[in-house]
Amino acid sequence: MKKRYVLRFSPEVVNRPIVSDIIKAFNISVNIMNADISSGRAGMLVVELDGSEEALEHSVEYLQRHGVDCSPHVKELVFDQEKCVDCGSCTSVCFSGALVMNRESWELEYHADSCVVCGLCVEACPLRLFTITRGAAS
Amino acid sequence: MSVTKSIEEINQKISNGEAVVVTAEEVSTMARSMTAAQIAERVDVVTTATFGPMCSSGAFLNFGHYSPPIRMEEIYLNDVPVSGGLAAVDTYIGATSESRFDHTYGGAHIIEELIAGNDIKLKARAKGTDCYPTKEVETTINKESVNEFYLYNPRNAYQNYGVAVNTKSHTIYTYMGTLLPNLGNATYSTSGELSPLLNDPAMRTIGIGTRIFLCGTQGYVSWYGTQFNTSKPVNEYGIPTSNAATLAVIGDAKEMSTEYLKAAYFEKYGVTMFVGIGIPIPMLDEQIAQACMISNAQIDTSVIDYSEPDKPVLTMVNYEQLHSGTIEIDGKSIKTAPLSSMKKARKIAQELKDWIDRGEFYLSTPVQQFPNHTTVQNLKQR
Repeated sequence: MKKRYVLRFSPEVVNRPIVSDIIKAFNISVNIMNADISSGRAGMLVVELDGSEEALEHSVEYLQRHGVDCSPHVKELVFDQEKCVDCGSCTSVCFSGALVMNRESWELEYHADSCVVCGLCVEACPLRLFTITRGAAS
Repeated sequence: MSVTKSIEEINQKISNGEAVVVTAEEVSTMARSMTAAQIAERVDVVTTATFGPMCSSGAFLNFGHYSPPIRMEEIYLNDVPVSGGLAAVDTYIGATSESRFDHTYGGAHIIEELIAGNDIKLKARAKGTDCYPTKEVETTINKESVNEFYLYNPRNAYQNYGVAVNTKSHTIYTYMGTLLPNLGNATYSTSGELSPLLNDPAMRTIGIGTRIFLCGTQGYVSWYGTQFNTSKPVNEYGIPTSNAATLAVIGDAKEMSTEYLKAAYFEKYGVTMFVGIGIPIPMLDEQIAQACMISNAQIDTSVIDYSEPDKPVLTMVNYEQLHSGTIEIDGKSIKTAPLSSMKKARKIAQELKDWIDRGEFYLSTPVQQFPNHTTVQNLKQR
């Protein structure tokens, strides 16, 4: 099975190879969708973990035990869709397939599963309808 | 013999409930199987619409006199500076004026909130005169407490508009949205074949005094818009291939709906306002039919590099290509995205059609046609 998470970690954890740790320990594959990491400051990774259900559970446990905050990524981006006017501005910066214009109805389609939490839509929406919760909603 | 109809005849049909009203998109579809002569005969009115960010917008407002009176010279509404140079208690709220404390909040938000019925904080200051002794007022207003509150937008409904791209290696933030580096995306902002001034490019039926749909109520074209330019190059269908004519529009904001007027903030650019406009085009003759038959594939526009100060044109594309989701520039496939809402524009065209079908909206003859040999000048250092 595949599951996406947003991982957040402190500057101490940044210097440790946590991703390769879980790959080796639990025989899963990790697809990094988005990353914002540099030594000496907190890091953020959006990953898709692929493996057995048990292996994914163990991976998340392992990460949490080592000080990594794991949040299911679908809860990360909050979209106040009711107020949306379907202008399409957000689709100009969304390359993950999460925000797509339906070219028949010209309605904005929001596919939360495809989101990689890059955050570009937050700034691109002229009505400011997107927020990244930093795991607060989870 | 070719069909000709007068606006009076069309209005009579509307009054009798017999007028055939279709949207401009429907006419473009009809055009695949019908001739201009057949469409001119069949259809009486074509509704056009647009819903996009239009920065040159705003509203006049009269607060009513205070006792003892004040001649307001410095005025803030929710800390957004509004015009203080209009007699004692008149003001103009410019849509792009921004709050002193929050640059993402501005005149457009004040207008939207007033329409929604919200209370707004008013602060005004004056030097004090013998006839206007009060020097300071701080109170709350809303649309019921003020006298007149009407939208007056100096430049709306651009006839065509360029597509925005960025050829530099860093992201730029513009009124055309976030433009990603190295031609990472392309944004555009018209409703194409549904857009008002693209369906009557010569403006035979749209002029000063034309009654229109404005943000949910009946409004009027009050003048030609600022930067009105009839000298732009046109394509083989008579369509200007870049931003050309514009409209100044007016309407009673107290009767408007926030469904069709929305405040907006473009990142690192500023506040602007989405304005919903619908314009009916009377089917006077075959020539008008021909103009309304225009389809997205026949409307060309310029692709403009917003990362260069003089905004060079890189290439031309048409709206069918833009609507497909990708365009090609120098062999590179580039993602396109609209900034104006087609869904809202369709809703406006449909609502205007419903008004006409129900006999609630009648067509008007322009009091005066627009000028037809205009150009736009730049500001020069002298």
